[in-house]
Amino acid sequence: MWTIDGQGAGRRLPLHWFLVGVPAFFLLVFFVVPNAFLLSASVLKSENQVLTNQFTTENFTIFLTKKVYLLTILRTFVVGISVGLLVAFVSFPVSYFLVRTRSRFKGVLITLSLAPLLASVVVRTYGWYVLLDRFGFANDVLLKLDAIQERIAFIPSTGGIIIGLAHALLPYGILTNLASLSAVNPNMERASMSLGANRTKTFLLVLLPNCMPGLVASFLLAFSISISAYATPAILGGYASQTIATLIYAFIMQVLDWSLGAALGTILIVSTLAILYFSFRFGGRRAEV
Amino acid sequence: MSVARNPRNRGASISRRTALKATGGLAACFAAGIGPAVVARAEETLVVNSQGGEYKEIIERTVIAPFEKKFGVKVVHDATGTASQDFAKLRASRGSPGFDVAAVLTPPEVTLGGQEGLLEPMSEKEVPNLKYIWTRARELSPTFGAVHTIQYASLIYNKEQIERPDSWADYWEPWKRYGDGIRNHVIGYNPANLLSIFALIYAARLRGGGEDNMEPAWEFLKNQKPYLGVVVTGSSEAVPHFESGQVWLSPYWSGRAALYIDRGLPFEMVVPKEGVLGLPDLAAVPVGAKNKELAFEFVNFRLEKDVQREFSLAYHAGPGRRDIDDLPEDFKKRQIATEEKIQATIWPNLEKIGRMRKDWTLRWQEIMG
Repeated sequence: MWTIDGQGAGRRLPLHWFLVGVPAFFLLVFFVVPNAFLLSASVLKSENQVLTNQFTTENFTIFLTKKVYLLTILRTFVVGISVGLLVAFVSFPVSYFLVRTRSRFKGVLITLSLAPLLASVVVRTYGWYVLLDRFGFANDVLLKLDAIQERIAFIPSTGGIIIGLAHALLPYGILTNLASLSAVNPNMERASMSLGANRTKTFLLVLLPNCMPGLVASFLLAFSISISAYATPAILGGYASQTIATLIYAFIMQVLDWSLGAALGTILIVSTLAILYFSFRFGGRRAEV
Repeated sequence: MSVARNPRNRGASISRRTALKATGGLAACFAAGIGPAVVARAEETLVVNSQGGEYKEIIERTVIAPFEKKFGVKVVHDATGTASQDFAKLRASRGSPGFDVAAVLTPPEVTLGGQEGLLEPMSEKEVPNLKYIWTRARELSPTFGAVHTIQYASLIYNKEQIERPDSWADYWEPWKRYGDGIRNHVIGYNPANLLSIFALIYAARLRGGGEDNMEPAWEFLKNQKPYLGVVVTGSSEAVPHFESGQVWLSPYWSGRAALYIDRGLPFEMVVPKEGVLGLPDLAAVPVGAKNKELAFEFVNFRLEKDVQREFSLAYHAGPGRRDIDDLPEDFKKRQIATEEKIQATIWPNLEKIGRMRKDWTLRWQEIMG
């Protein structure tokens, strides 16, 4: 007879197994099983949008041979890498300032930096839509200043997606870099400068190596969220700037072809895991320097 | 030392006996009080998935509220999702999507739903009012749904910006009629919206094609692409672009077009000389509906004469019934509400559209991507 603790008469199940077991079961049901279904659906033939039991690799062939889909896959990773780099490098100086400042408003400043998280990503993205639309604020200002003669379509575009996602994910970068910068003793920088290093050398040889894990983590966080983001690419991207996520949505929810959607989902998962693996290795190695 | 063996952790552990007692207590509570209340509610509640947005109030006022009053039941109105999203939900849940009536599906979805065993078959036995449906619409629609509304894909234009178009060629080759000034003022639709498919069929028909030969349509699409200012998926997504003055020319569902024009949008609706394609909207009952009897009652009530009349006038779309004679003349001019109009309408092969939609979408993506 099994009990969860040691009070019953039979064999006992340690509490920590129970604590691990519940989330593990949750993950199994809501992550592993759906992903297993995704993988299996990706190699099944779909006839008239109905899944059959016939094995096929045609779903992958479509995406890996047609230029339009190869460009979509490439665009997704260009967006992910660009957003990751932007978030990492823009958030770093902000975090540095927030960690080192002695202002009595430090708490307020940190709150303000993270305040965008309080608004829905959809609301923030529509903010960019209002700014960047052909008939939006940016065009109005540029026309008024005579900087342009005709309205420019800033969106839909890949650039629009990158700007929108970088803005949405910046607080995550700030939080990650705040944590790693807080762990760096300011006396190390003072020691470096007292020994003759200038500010640039101190930054490159003392501060940066110590903060590299945080910088890499902020990149990876922004990268992994942005390559699977749906709302921002759907609003700011448009038909000519599709990403894998918007295409998956189109295949599953609009074309109702689950096998194509599943194949694209598998491509996204596999390629993301590969990139994350190499990034972790790179990040880990730099962290050891 | 394991957590269980550590004396400090004893207070945080749960014995099987305790767990069983708690579960038993909860079950007793449900049995004594909460349980019967839930069961009674389930018997009298019908979940209807139907129109949202600006149409939510219309369907609730003209159909749902009178139904609740007549049958003394509670209708939970699920106003989320487009027809294809609702079907995706139906498929993902193997026919138990959480609603008892899918009140706005299009024929391709109903055909697929029938083929996959996700929808209940529907005959005059379950829905006696089916006998009043337009004969032509019923012939063309799958037997797993009831036609309650008839729309068509019209051509609309901004009358303050351009002159009246009279052919689908004016939409597909706008530079020929309006010059380069029309660039960026034409809207396109993603094939997820049947409106896009219908517009492509119009294009194919301009050069002797149709559902069986869409090649001419792809040529038109390639040439039209530089003139498209915006491409959207949902029909409602186009409205802000009409209102802002960015879009001057668009194919558009007759119901929505009439509604927005009546609200002051500076557009006019045109039936081009080549004619228009008709689209029936259908209501269907999922196989996993919890309250099937009431669901069929709802579909039947949806086809009652008075309900049809009130809904059609408010929704600005033709009724599914053929015997509503007292509709205003202006309404009859704009919408498909007479036998003559039914005969003049082009009825596309919706079963073929359902089958070819994936291939056409892939082709559209290749051109537009």
